[in-house]
Amino acid sequence: MAAGSGSEKRVIVIGGGLAGLAASARLAEQGIQVDLFSIAPVKRSHSVCAQGGINACNEVARQQGFSEWAHMDETLYGGDFLADQPPVYEMTHWAPKIIDLLDRMGVPFNRTFEGYRDLRLFGGSLFKRTHFAGATTGQQLLYALDEQVRRAEQDGMVTKYEFWEFLWPVTEEVDGERRCVGMVAQDLRTMQVRAFRAGAVVIATGGCGLVFGKSTNSVSCTGAAAARCYQAGAWYANGEMIQVHPTAIPGADKCRLMSESARGEGGRVWVPRTKGDKRDPRDIPVPERWYFLEEKYPKYGNLVPRDIASREIFDVCVNQGMGIGAENMVYLDLTHKSREELDRKLRGILEIYEKFAGEDPRDVPMKIFPAMHYTMGGLWTTFTPEERTADSVMDRDSNRERVIGMQIDAKNTMSTNIPGLYALGEVNFAYHGATRLGANALLSCIFDGLFAGVGIANYVRDDAPDEEAVSSAPFDAAVKQEEAKVESLRSRAQQGLTDPAVNPYVIAQELGKEMTDASTVVKTGERLEKALNKIQELGERCSRATLADASLWTNQNMAFTRSLSDMVKLAEVILAGGIERRESRGSHFRLDYPDRDDDQFLKTTVAEYDAATGRPKISFREVITPLVKPRARTYGKVEKSSDPAPEPRETVAAEATS
Amino acid sequence: MGTLHVTQTGSFLQRHHFLLRRLHSLSGIVPIGVFLIVHLTTNASVVWGMVNSSKYDGLHGGAATFQHEVNFIHSLPFLILIEIFGLWLPIAFHSILGIYYATTGRSNLTRYPYQDNWRYSLQRISGYVGVLFIFYHVATLRWGWTFLIPGGTKWDGEFAASTMASALQGGTDGMTTAGLFVSLCYMIGVSLLVFHLANGLWTAAITWGLTVSDKAQRRWGLVCAGLGAGLMALAWSAVIGFATLDPAEAQLAEEHVNRGHGVEPAHVDSNVAMTTSGNEE
Amino acid sequence: MTSPTPVSQDSAKHELGAERSVYFRIKRCDGPGKATRWERFKVKVTRGEGANVLACLERIAANPVTADGAKTTPVVWDAGCLEEVCGACTMNVNGKVRQACSCLIDTCAPNDGDEVVLEPMQKFPIVRDLWVDRSRMFETLKRVKAWTPIDGLYATGPGPKETPERQQERYIYSTCMTCGCCLEACPQFQQEPDASKWDTSFVGANAIGQVQLFNEHPTAKELAPERLDAMTAAGGVSECGNAQNCVKVCPKEIPLTDAIAAVGRAATIHGIKRFFQGK
Repeated sequence: MAAGSGSEKRVIVIGGGLAGLAASARLAEQGIQVDLFSIAPVKRSHSVCAQGGINACNEVARQQGFSEWAHMDETLYGGDFLADQPPVYEMTHWAPKIIDLLDRMGVPFNRTFEGYRDLRLFGGSLFKRTHFAGATTGQQLLYALDEQVRRAEQDGMVTKYEFWEFLWPVTEEVDGERRCVGMVAQDLRTMQVRAFRAGAVVIATGGCGLVFGKSTNSVSCTGAAAARCYQAGAWYANGEMIQVHPTAIPGADKCRLMSESARGEGGRVWVPRTKGDKRDPRDIPVPERWYFLEEKYPKYGNLVPRDIASREIFDVCVNQGMGIGAENMVYLDLTHKSREELDRKLRGILEIYEKFAGEDPRDVPMKIFPAMHYTMGGLWTTFTPEERTADSVMDRDSNRERVIGMQIDAKNTMSTNIPGLYALGEVNFAYHGATRLGANALLSCIFDGLFAGVGIANYVRDDAPDEEAVSSAPFDAAVKQEEAKVESLRSRAQQGLTDPAVNPYVIAQELGKEMTDASTVVKTGERLEKALNKIQELGERCSRATLADASLWTNQNMAFTRSLSDMVKLAEVILAGGIERRESRGSHFRLDYPDRDDDQFLKTTVAEYDAATGRPKISFREVITPLVKPRARTYGKVEKSSDPAPEPRETVAAEATS
Repeated sequence: MGTLHVTQTGSFLQRHHFLLRRLHSLSGIVPIGVFLIVHLTTNASVVWGMVNSSKYDGLHGGAATFQHEVNFIHSLPFLILIEIFGLWLPIAFHSILGIYYATTGRSNLTRYPYQDNWRYSLQRISGYVGVLFIFYHVATLRWGWTFLIPGGTKWDGEFAASTMASALQGGTDGMTTAGLFVSLCYMIGVSLLVFHLANGLWTAAITWGLTVSDKAQRRWGLVCAGLGAGLMALAWSAVIGFATLDPAEAQLAEEHVNRGHGVEPAHVDSNVAMTTSGNEE
Repeated sequence: MTSPTPVSQDSAKHELGAERSVYFRIKRCDGPGKATRWERFKVKVTRGEGANVLACLERIAANPVTADGAKTTPVVWDAGCLEEVCGACTMNVNGKVRQACSCLIDTCAPNDGDEVVLEPMQKFPIVRDLWVDRSRMFETLKRVKAWTPIDGLYATGPGPKETPERQQERYIYSTCMTCGCCLEACPQFQQEPDASKWDTSFVGANAIGQVQLFNEHPTAKELAPERLDAMTAAGGVSECGNAQNCVKVCPKEIPLTDAIAAVGRAATIHGIKRFFQGK
């Protein structure tokens, strides 16, 4: 029997990061019972990794000419105008309220001498608009929401299902219209597959970094949940929009962010002039080092904008094979600076490098490489626009009488194309367009949960069918489908994997490598097509992938392999979108189409799963741009950047050492 | 499971958890800790009392001073009540509760051989050994279980130093092997008790919230270490003093003191003397 | 990027270049109540690649064959951020508790042929292999009411002002990722599989740190009496034995012993107040 089959209205929230927790807290406050599912204890969600801060207009910035409207404009401009504008309007206008709320929850935001919230300057803005809590803002915000949800749990409004993996949304068709009435999940300890009923299902499962192998994401960020919704008929939008961070520390298991402030403080990027030189970098004399950024950009040197830095590093390593020891890495060298100065200005970030790279960057040049960082694309969602009078304070730069935001109580807010199935947070495509501004991610996740929670509660109360009224047939079918997958995987189990062709870990590595090589910093139609072929092959191998563990107790091997086939589906969406988008916009840089083409592509890419072929069907939808007319995204000539997001850690480091 | 004990021993311990814990901590300091300091100071007088030798006509000043102290204590009123409520019950309370509390812990020194962790384990070991030592000490000298004393010396409050010396030396004819063993046990026993008190004072300051910061804890740690070192010096000097004291020489001094106080040794009921002087040991 | 190299059965060439072999001795258990066993694996690592314990576990998962050539199942472990901020991958590495993600092979097993010993945390019920169930820690957070009792999620203005000093003090406690290192190393904290006894078992250092965190916040301190009730009840702060291992193993360097003393002080005052108020 499915849980929650009582008469109470309930919502299933899948994912316990910022968006999922914000939604849970909001729904519980609205008197809706929440079943919160997460593959890990929610307090360990990937949101903890965010460091820099959270953007919001504030009184200090306002008195210098900043406004909510300006924040919106920056966000749209940063995202190269690919985002629908009303959601961005609403999010930026809610931002100050969200900061206040987090403040009340007890988030230890950094303080000024007088005790007010301190602010820091972030890229993409001339105003200090970023609030921060030490070097772990994401962690602090997540914990604050986690605490509020624990409180709701104590009050009996939230039931947590931790170590449960979402497998499939359950839908029923009434009068030709589908709606989501629950889902099937699996307990990752007992491996029990079970259906759960609910008035609505909220997907808040984050990004898909693991599709790219080693990214800056957590191990849970497979994108599998989104991929499953996509295969169940939900649209996936702007899949090709993936943010790559230029300086990350490549590790054996993942890539960790390295602050841009290292370059700001004089760090020099170089590779050995001799291909595959394996000498200790300290033994390589200066004439035998290739300071390629300084050579190619004599004026700006190592401080070229991020997208250029990313592309050049990528070009040197991938195309020219000039990376350190023929690997995809370049040196970021600070060893010419005095230890004292480095400690004073950069200690925080240098310690992170020391901890995870095992070398002291004051003595040895750091090894860095661009890494997949954020998924702007995601499940397609809709909203109800609401026209209202422009606010003389918040919209002071707009020169408009009327503005358009989102209607808060609308039942379709952040609904996917399947009613009753919502997508919030990073898995929602809505807010960041073609690239995300630094310190906007935390804002979008919390806003999504708090804002959409109201409409979801309305939907569940008014429109969702009574749980008893829903036939058990679709639940039984979905459970059967998922149990069949489990059995199919188990039937292929054999201890001690031998054949790499069907080894899921080998397939995952190949997937990550192919996606990173073909679809991150620089793309071409030809390379994407080639990658798509490779992905087809991987998909085929995935269907034969062999487990090394057939047990029905805490079988991570099975969960991993199942997710892998879903990641392959998502990879197809990402590549297909990239192929069809024959322009360059934001993070999507096509060498064969280097310019932005608003006439053809000021449009949202929508991928729809074709059950017959198993392939995505790509179509384009108009971007809703009623507020700001898209303009060229140049950041002046000097500051042109596809990713104006500043490095979160840099200011932290500066403050920690000052 | 350590926690299993909590429910097994009933809800009394749970209901009065905090009070009992705090009383346990307090009882270790007052009265037990205070008593230990007084006791060690008194007993060490067998050494520091040597400065009084001229006062006692050139007789053994240490033995004389010690006897003088013992006689003073014997003269206190309501001594038996002071003993019971000020000493025996607190020690029993502190020991029984302490042993119970100690069983809820599991030492992990092999994995975490930090200094503080050593102190934690040593505090519990010194508690266990201390209880055994106190039992031996009281049983042999207070209850007259002379069969546990090599040489079978019966401690006599009128001849406090000389009988004590005989008890530690295994007889009246100089140090025997068995006597050496007893002296060594005393050495270890008092050392562990001194450690237990000094370390207990240090942790009590944390428990009660007097020393909150790491700095304050380290500062207070120095004070406790200093106190411990001082007490250790007293304890060792007492044990060494008695272990090396010539009983015959001591007896001369004791007789001198007792005469000075107008008490004829022949008239002393040894049972009375034992009863009223037990707290000295 | 350096792709993880599946372990090769052919060991003859492992000394080439900077590549070397390390051995992993892993305490394995198929599930609660099942017998434990030790298995030894050989993993190839390259000096300077930044391989950590988890990267090696991935390599073992990709080729689950023991050093003796016996086929086995992949080792099960818990992991999340891999950046030492989520707390998931806590386990015993070479006898000491820590996050496996920040344990680099070049540091913990610097020489060819070195052995790394992995064991699950001992203070929590086993799920499988290196994965343990730490839900007791999250339940304990309820016991000490580790939250700020705000009115609700509607905008009602800013929170209370706070001095930078106070913020810094609270921030460090707020970086606690509930990893459980402090509990694993604590001689006073014992495993308790029976959830009904969690409410009277020792809360442990992390929860005491959370009490301090919330009792220092202007709004959250409204619940301080209730938190101190928990702290003065069975399993409260006075079960601490002052071994102070917690503060030494805390990966975030949270001053847990300061918190224990501060909460001890508050508990003393709270206890005296209650005594005289006759509650």
